[in-house]
Amino acid sequence: MKYIAYLIKSSLSDFRRNKVRTFLTSLGILIGVLSVVLMMAFGFGLKNYINQQFETLGKNLIMVLPGTGFRGGGQGLIGGVQFDEKDVTKLRRVRNVAIVAPAFAKAVKIEANGKAEPTNLRGTTPDISRLLNLEFEKGKIFTQADLSKKKKVVIIGGELAIKLFGSSTNAINKNVRIQNQSFTVIGILKRKGSLGSEIDTISVAPYTSLFSLNPNKTFFAIYLKSINDQTVPQVKAEVKNVLLRRYKADDFSITEQSELLDTINSIIGVLNIALISIGSISLVVGGIGIMNIMYATVTERTKEIGIRRAIGATKKDILYQFLSGAVMVSFLGGLLALIIATVIVVIVQPLFPAVINTFSVAVGFGISSFIGIFFGVFPAKKAADLSPIEAIRFE
Amino acid sequence: MIQLINVCKDYLVGADKIRILHDISLVIKDKEFVAIQGSSGSGKSTLMHIMGFLDIPTSGTILLDGKDVSRLSDDNLSKVRSEHVGFIFQQFNLINNLTVLENVMLPAIYSRSETNFDFKKKAEKLLIRFGIYDRKDYYPNKISGGQQQKVAIARALIMGPKVVFADEPTGNLDSKNGAEIMKLLGELNRDFGVTIVIVTHEEYIASKAKRKVFIKDGFLVKKYL
Repeated sequence: MKYIAYLIKSSLSDFRRNKVRTFLTSLGILIGVLSVVLMMAFGFGLKNYINQQFETLGKNLIMVLPGTGFRGGGQGLIGGVQFDEKDVTKLRRVRNVAIVAPAFAKAVKIEANGKAEPTNLRGTTPDISRLLNLEFEKGKIFTQADLSKKKKVVIIGGELAIKLFGSSTNAINKNVRIQNQSFTVIGILKRKGSLGSEIDTISVAPYTSLFSLNPNKTFFAIYLKSINDQTVPQVKAEVKNVLLRRYKADDFSITEQSELLDTINSIIGVLNIALISIGSISLVVGGIGIMNIMYATVTERTKEIGIRRAIGATKKDILYQFLSGAVMVSFLGGLLALIIATVIVVIVQPLFPAVINTFSVAVGFGISSFIGIFFGVFPAKKAADLSPIEAIRFE
Repeated sequence: MIQLINVCKDYLVGADKIRILHDISLVIKDKEFVAIQGSSGSGKSTLMHIMGFLDIPTSGTILLDGKDVSRLSDDNLSKVRSEHVGFIFQQFNLINNLTVLENVMLPAIYSRSETNFDFKKKAEKLLIRFGIYDRKDYYPNKISGGQQQKVAIARALIMGPKVVFADEPTGNLDSKNGAEIMKLLGELNRDFGVTIVIVTHEEYIASKAKRKVFIKDGFLVKKYL
């Protein structure tokens, strides 16, 4: 215990004597650990954020999409069929289905007060509100009556309301123009903020009011919710059977939330590994910096090593002396990196949901200590293996 | 007691083997004050390194109090140096980034022995005795050569060694300081019974010892034994 205290004390006094050298050496490690920890913070943050978003939608959400959907990989959502009202009616009859909402989608410009903003326009039914757990800042979703009367009303995202009208209060009950048709704003969605969610700039109208944009009366997607999580597989299977009577298997896909979430999580997982690998490169560079400086230090202190050996130091004593210096420099770098990373995460928190958790802290300290030991052990071994007599004669 | 029996030491210079010490047999008894005298290149420093367990002989045997220590591992040699041997060098060889007191106490850090006396008190006592206690918090490069050598002697004595080896201890000092250091070594031998082995090329320094051993070209010269 006394010996360890001595090692720490003497390393610290070495640092004090070589402040610039210590700072530069630990800077290398600092940058390496910082990049790894930040990459992890952003990666985990992204993952948490996406998982939360999915959780608000509920695990019993099922989506019927054209083409091979998210499962097919490359092909994506391109191609496939366009669904129509007949499909919706049939799907309503499937056992254990609680809600069905079809959606027509088109990217359009929405205009008001002489401003035009791009928006993703959805034509759907009032059920979409319950289906996607929409939260309203002002107003509410249109009614079933609005739908059947083909009323020109629209719900807009919170961000869109601010862009067009300055605030949601100003936006409510105002008219907007979509493709040269006038719509009344009857609801404004709560802003979700970070990551510029699509929901903040969306527009939602009764699909019946958009037939001029959608003369074939088709839908891009049909959303379903089963009565509970357990019935999801059964609902999926029956929906598939219903659709297979009309379409080929390749023309549509049925995706449930958990499946989609798994896909996204695995994509983020790969992304995280890539980001951390990039961060690790600077860590290795930092480690080489430590090694370089330590080799120089061993040469510089050869005579001192000889003296210490003459008065009774073993090879191990010399090894520990140099190793403790290397580990402490890199530990110092790791500590500073974690502090800086925490500050950065706190600063970017409003824009990006980055997180630093105990795992990142453990990884930060773990890798910096490991780098110190790994890159320090070779020069320290060189110091320990010096012959005492040759070392003491060294000038 | 240190006993050397037929000790030889070879060095490799390139591909050539050069014999530095030839068949040396020598006894250093406890409480002796011996000078090993020889000219530069005679092998006297190599002999001191081997007697001080800093180096191992190529052949021959070294007995420390009757125990064979000539084939000890590096760790065990370190232990022997730590417990039984003190060194004093021509260039003082203090560690410049440690204070005087820290230098004196340094061997205690490396000591693995169980003795639990207060090293700091002992170091301070030695510094008081040598008249340099007021320099205890100085760094070695801020004090005079004579004072540095006294610090080195204190460091050599801190673990209570059986034997102290001094390699040209006055070589870097003026004659006044040199005389003072020799007087100090004489007192340590007389008053405290510390065995002292001085390696020197100077007749004057060697004459202070009670016994002289002469070494020439790696051979002990018999007439002085």
